[in-house]
Amino acid sequence: MSAGPSCHGDAAGARVLAVGAGQRSLVALVGRPNSGKSSLYNAVTGARAHVGNFPGVTVDILEADISLPGGFDVSMADLPGFYTLESTLDPATDEGIARSVLDRAASDERGLLVVQVIDATQLALGLRLTRELAARSFRLLVVVSQRDVLEAQGRALDAAALAEAIEVPVLAVSARAKATGAAVREAMAKEFERDVPWRGTPAWDPAAVARQVVAEVGTVKASARRRREFTARADHWLLHPVLGPLLFLSIMALVFAAVFLVADPTTSFLDRTIGAIGARISTALGDGLFASFVSDGLLGGAGTVLAFMPQIVILTVAMELLEASGYLARGAFLVDRLLRLLGLSGRSFVPLLMGHACAIPAIAATRIVRDPRERLTTILVLPLMTCSARLPTYALVLTTFFPAGSALFKACLFVGLYFAGIFSGLVASFVLRRTATSGRTLPLVLEMPAYRAPQPRVVAHQTMRGALRFLREIGTTILGASAVLWVLLTVPAPFASAPLDADVYADSPVPARTMVLERSVGAMIGRTLEPISSPLGFDWRINAGLIGSFGARELMVSTMGIIYGIEDASSDPSPLSSRMRAAKRPDGRPAYTARTGLALLAFFLFACQCMSTVAAIRRETKSFRWPAFVLAYTYAIAYVAAFFVYQVSGLFIAG
Amino acid sequence: MMPVPLLMLGETQVGVTVRIIALDLDGDFVEWFRAVGIHEGERVTVLRRALFGGPIHVRTGSGGEFALNRELARSIRVAPLAGPAESAPGADEETGA
Repeated sequence: MSAGPSCHGDAAGARVLAVGAGQRSLVALVGRPNSGKSSLYNAVTGARAHVGNFPGVTVDILEADISLPGGFDVSMADLPGFYTLESTLDPATDEGIARSVLDRAASDERGLLVVQVIDATQLALGLRLTRELAARSFRLLVVVSQRDVLEAQGRALDAAALAEAIEVPVLAVSARAKATGAAVREAMAKEFERDVPWRGTPAWDPAAVARQVVAEVGTVKASARRRREFTARADHWLLHPVLGPLLFLSIMALVFAAVFLVADPTTSFLDRTIGAIGARISTALGDGLFASFVSDGLLGGAGTVLAFMPQIVILTVAMELLEASGYLARGAFLVDRLLRLLGLSGRSFVPLLMGHACAIPAIAATRIVRDPRERLTTILVLPLMTCSARLPTYALVLTTFFPAGSALFKACLFVGLYFAGIFSGLVASFVLRRTATSGRTLPLVLEMPAYRAPQPRVVAHQTMRGALRFLREIGTTILGASAVLWVLLTVPAPFASAPLDADVYADSPVPARTMVLERSVGAMIGRTLEPISSPLGFDWRINAGLIGSFGARELMVSTMGIIYGIEDASSDPSPLSSRMRAAKRPDGRPAYTARTGLALLAFFLFACQCMSTVAAIRRETKSFRWPAFVLAYTYAIAYVAAFFVYQVSGLFIAG
Repeated sequence: MMPVPLLMLGETQVGVTVRIIALDLDGDFVEWFRAVGIHEGERVTVLRRALFGGPIHVRTGSGGEFALNRELARSIRVAPLAGPAESAPGADEETGA
């Protein structure tokens, strides 16, 4: 995710040449997943990391520029966790990414030091990887972390004996201790000075070495016993055959409800602020076309971006907490059987869950799925998950068409929509795995890390990164789409002579902006589509709103605002919703009913109205076929679902 | 020497510790699997099984805990250790999982 969609092929090659010589040496931090790599990375770099630029690598790799003792300036990169570099693998998986970064760094001019983090309590497992790294003749430093945890278990590591046995320098640290960062920096500087890469094929056996250098020195401390008992007890309940899934569902429902209940007021506050700024701009710049472009086109788009920052933040924090605590792997254990029925595995669970914040990072996160077909399936169904961008539109629909509902009713409907998204995603993957992506799946093997208290600093840091990436990637798309939309809804269509629908605006003077829109290209397209949209209960105005939100679904609200002549729809949706309620058809019946609302919800639930998602799928699948497929199938389902909902609800609801 | 009774990890009872004898799996995958920490000679304790033939939760002698697909576990040949009493000193055994 470090660069835009253009970072492939020739462009990537060109960049390698451009940055070739005169670069800082690279320290690559590697290790098994859950080995305590992130904690150590934060301790060493002081959390000043930025997203590094690694040509051809489409996932975020954190990089920080640090000074080592002796005035040595290096860049330190936190590579994705992996188990081995040897087995044949898909280049898009974590192992493949790590290997390509290491190989490239080893072959170019800049110096490379590989620092491997090993969890002291799983020494033998870590040493298997050490042997692979040593065989590749990397300049290598092994940092054994969690030394304190090992000692609390009544065992001690002889670091000198270990270094001698594996012929690689070893540093033993406690990852969360204050002095750790400085100690690791010093050891790294020493390795760069040594400047003699170790070569040869290691002959030692990881398990034997681990037995040899770890000694039982005392009794198990109470803290260690408590820790182990805690994990066992927590697993006893959290993985309980009956209570486990129930607790899991409750946690998910709680997260989704929190997003609605907490984000909603924050979002409307941000909306009001943006609306006020927009009003200022209009006053300052007058009524011209330029002022309209700035306040409707650009600021409207920016407002949309900011408006769902709170949701992104809440969901990212929730995901980080679940992940860092070790619960996410338990969730995968619980749902593996279910996902298996649908042709996925517990590994797909994490990206699918992340998709509820935003599909873009979730599509990148599918790289933890090792099976290529399963990974593709996960990517293809991700757009069906209820991402936070759908929420403003859901909110508009709910206030407009269900004005009498209580906050509890709306929260329940929200949670229901979330589960509807999940359900449809599962059905879609079931169908896909039997058609487009059929074939055998690699079986689930998932590490279950010990429960850990999440470090607030790491969580805050990750959340900040998620928010910034969202601003950068999604924000620019929304701004662009918003600007294009403004043009579509402003430039008059040739031969446009459509009269104003007097009834709609009966209660107030028609703003100039609305008059312009009535005659625009967008309105013309909306009218042209009416024959196929009327079975869904959508008139040309909703069509124009849907066209406006093709690039980014959250633009629906501001488009409808313009259509209904509300200058600042986003500042307070209630005048918009009341105008939409009051809108009449030419024959005098109300233009929209609760049926329209339900049909709209069904449409938004399925349609992939997000160009950023399409671009991300294009980048991850390296084809145009799959993004086109996603657009086609989600819109087809959306149309059928809206049609079905509108027609069937007609049997029960008048209007 | 007594013949080792044929046993698969997938059928091993909860709470029982066994030793891995062989992995009856495809070449590519088996290498990765060994690197993850499930390899011949490793001691494995079954901690729990998920419902309806879901994954099993195991702890290995190296201190790692893993969720393994049930079918996969049926391809892992294991031999029983003498009994619960034989657990190595300091091993992370847990009671009543």
